[in-house]
Amino acid sequence: MPDVVKGPERVHNLTTRVIEGKEVAFDEEGFFLNPESWSRAIAETIALEMGIAELTERQWEMIYFLRGFYLANGRAPLNRDIKKQTGVSLLELEHLFPGGIRGGARRLAGLPNPKSC
Amino acid sequence: MIYLDNAATTFPKPSLVMEEMVRTYSRIGASPGRGSYDLAVQCESFVHEVRQQVSNFFGGDNPDRVAFAYNSTDALNTIILGLIQPGCHVVSSRLEHNSVLRPLHHLRARGLITFDLVRFDGNGFIDPQEVADLIKPQTRFVILNHVSNVLGTIQPISEVGSICRDRGIPLVLDASQSAGLIPIDMQTMHLHAVAFTGHKALLGPTGIGGLVLRKGIEIQPTRFGGTGIESRSPEHPGAYPYRLEPGTLNIMGIIGLSAGLRYIAQQGMENIYNHEMSLTRALRDGLASLDRVRTYCADTLENHLGVLTCNAEDVDPEDFAAILDGDFNIATRSGLHCAPLVHEDLGTSPRGALRFSFGPFNSLEDVKAALSAVSAVAK
Repeated sequence: MPDVVKGPERVHNLTTRVIEGKEVAFDEEGFFLNPESWSRAIAETIALEMGIAELTERQWEMIYFLRGFYLANGRAPLNRDIKKQTGVSLLELEHLFPGGIRGGARRLAGLPNPKSC
Repeated sequence: MIYLDNAATTFPKPSLVMEEMVRTYSRIGASPGRGSYDLAVQCESFVHEVRQQVSNFFGGDNPDRVAFAYNSTDALNTIILGLIQPGCHVVSSRLEHNSVLRPLHHLRARGLITFDLVRFDGNGFIDPQEVADLIKPQTRFVILNHVSNVLGTIQPISEVGSICRDRGIPLVLDASQSAGLIPIDMQTMHLHAVAFTGHKALLGPTGIGGLVLRKGIEIQPTRFGGTGIESRSPEHPGAYPYRLEPGTLNIMGIIGLSAGLRYIAQQGMENIYNHEMSLTRALRDGLASLDRVRTYCADTLENHLGVLTCNAEDVDPEDFAAILDGDFNIATRSGLHCAPLVHEDLGTSPRGALRFSFGPFNSLEDVKAALSAVSAVAK
């Protein structure tokens, strides 16, 4: 059953699942609550659920770029960072993942759900 | 960069505003009304002149009834919290920004008030008659958005004002989007209070806004502190504007607001409005030719400001904005725009939509670039 946790800024409808033998918490939209709980195997499982039978090398490159940037800087890359540092345009990234940039690339990379209003 | 997020805040500011802030603050940036030395007196005198300027701009009847605030949200909180009485009822609309919805919700959740919200039609307008129908004997005030920050639609406020006048109910206007683009005359529109922000179409900096009150409406203070007068009294002064202005004012912001008002007067408010609407029409027409793009409440641009909201099929609005920004250097605003009920009624909740909003420094070239970018996204 989902657990509701009220935080100072948002309300998360948490779902905890066991994937590849590891307990992982997701928010109401399926984003990792804790980026450290991400693993390649878990990403593959989620990708499969999204309809991606096998992630391509290009997709993995983008996932690892997003994760690497996040872990090094404590935030997701700026839109311009993505383009400048990977050579992949945002439009290409949108088409590279089902679910697009946010619901696809970012979610599979284990980055938190971006705050927006 | 092409900046198309002017409904959030106008950018850039006129150079007149930037220069005036530095020049005047360097000259008189002391604490107004807090001392008897010449500089403090000069500063207080300047602030009073700006109160007069603001009062004239909105058709107010007394410059002392212009109270400065940080922004519209601050001003709206001041008036909502200062007007309510336990058990009272408020009428507002589903077009409101969270700056009105959240204070009302907060007060209702604590059992202090009840409220009803008027719906908007398929073109983004409320019906004044529906406001009239919702007024009850215990209705304390009506509070309405002049222009929807999502749809850009200008609401029939004068008609609502006449209804409120006839029923003896104060009408409070949220002029966040409209002030600086379309005339607001508190007398002829029968407004008791206007909440405004300085950093949008008034072209000032962030951190300055205010309330303009007409005679006859009394706001209880909800924040207390130093005012520069009656220091011996433990009670907060009842005189306006001190009643609603605890603490030292944002002088830099007031200077910028004043300069913004002067800039608008120089350029002509109608000219700025017409310019922004010509860009809005060009954008609307261009978007209408794209099969996979849907605009909201923009079939007619009558009674409209330069705000246009849309979605591209199968593209998350946040991704849409990210692509425009990262690939095309175009700044727009995605999401719910702090107006969740509007998106609920449009059927665009919870992800929202993408909003374009124009300012005086945008050009037709900006519109062409935006259309080219949207075409690429919505292929």
